[in-house]
Amino acid sequence: MSQTKVLLVDDEVEFASALAERLQLRNYYVHTANNALEALGLVYKDRPDVVILDLRIPGMDGIETLKTIKKYDPSIEVIMLTGHGDVQSVQEGMTSGAFEYIMKPVDIGELTSKIDKAQKKRKEG
Amino acid sequence: MENKGERDLRLLQLRFIGKILAGFTHESKNYIAIVKESAGLIGDMIQLGEKAGDGSQAYLEIIHSIEEQIEKATDLFRHLNRFSHRMDTELCTFNVNETLEELIALLTRVARQKKIKLEKDFQQDIPSINNNPSLLQLLVFHFLEEQFTRLDKDSSLMLKTSLSNGSVIVQIIAKGNYLEAESEKGLSNNEIDDYIIDQLRGIIVKDNDLISISLPVSLS
Repeated sequence: MSQTKVLLVDDEVEFASALAERLQLRNYYVHTANNALEALGLVYKDRPDVVILDLRIPGMDGIETLKTIKKYDPSIEVIMLTGHGDVQSVQEGMTSGAFEYIMKPVDIGELTSKIDKAQKKRKEG
Repeated sequence: MENKGERDLRLLQLRFIGKILAGFTHESKNYIAIVKESAGLIGDMIQLGEKAGDGSQAYLEIIHSIEEQIEKATDLFRHLNRFSHRMDTELCTFNVNETLEELIALLTRVARQKKIKLEKDFQQDIPSINNNPSLLQLLVFHFLEEQFTRLDKDSSLMLKTSLSNGSVIVQIIAKGNYLEAESEKGLSNNEIDDYIIDQLRGIIVKDNDLISISLPVSLS
């Protein structure tokens, strides 16, 4: 079975790198980006299956980044990563085409389950 | 009944505290998230049979990262605690550099989101002043907040302190480009800033890139 290609976007370098390593240990193929520009570069270059996107990343609003990704390739599924206070952004993200959202700190089991569901939807779509 | 100045001041204070708390909780959550992922990674490496590369080096590096995050979080808690106590008494003797340092620490996340660098250049030997530290933080915050909305990304804002003619000078210096819509407008003239500086018995001089606040060493 081919590995799910995940792009993890978060400006907290250490958080992104630890979470990426945990996902890699669970057999996901993971790239990380720490700002919107870097993330979009990797989306165009590597075309990930699933993007895990922090809503508050420097350089471009997370929602704008989400819209840009969905406009480029609507089949890429985006899971938003958010703090508890971002309810409005989460709602806006869901209406802008996000597949799901997950709260920080992340539960790894919940995250992998959402990634797998996103990948399943992508394959079925 | 409160006059307009007092009412505007309360509203600005509430917005200020809200902004500081939002930044603080977000930043704290990030530290906790990193600690959680790092601890989870150690657990994964043990459970999923991942061998630590060179002896226990991989584990030690992760533990070191956890310790670093806890130290950063502790620093942030200390800054918030001191910030909260600034409001205990209206007038006290305080060190302007420490007061501004605290503000920088608590607004770093807001600045980072805007891709604006917050810098400092403090004269170390300025005397402590007798004034209202909380109002000074509020005034500086109000100017920083306006500059955050005017400046384009990759700009910087420097807080500079010095002593001149017996007064402590706090300067907010903007470096970089302004957003197109903002470049013509210049800094706004807010009545509330004049109200606050009156309370501090200081003087403000504003230019586009430079805001200078002059404060007496003592109010008496």
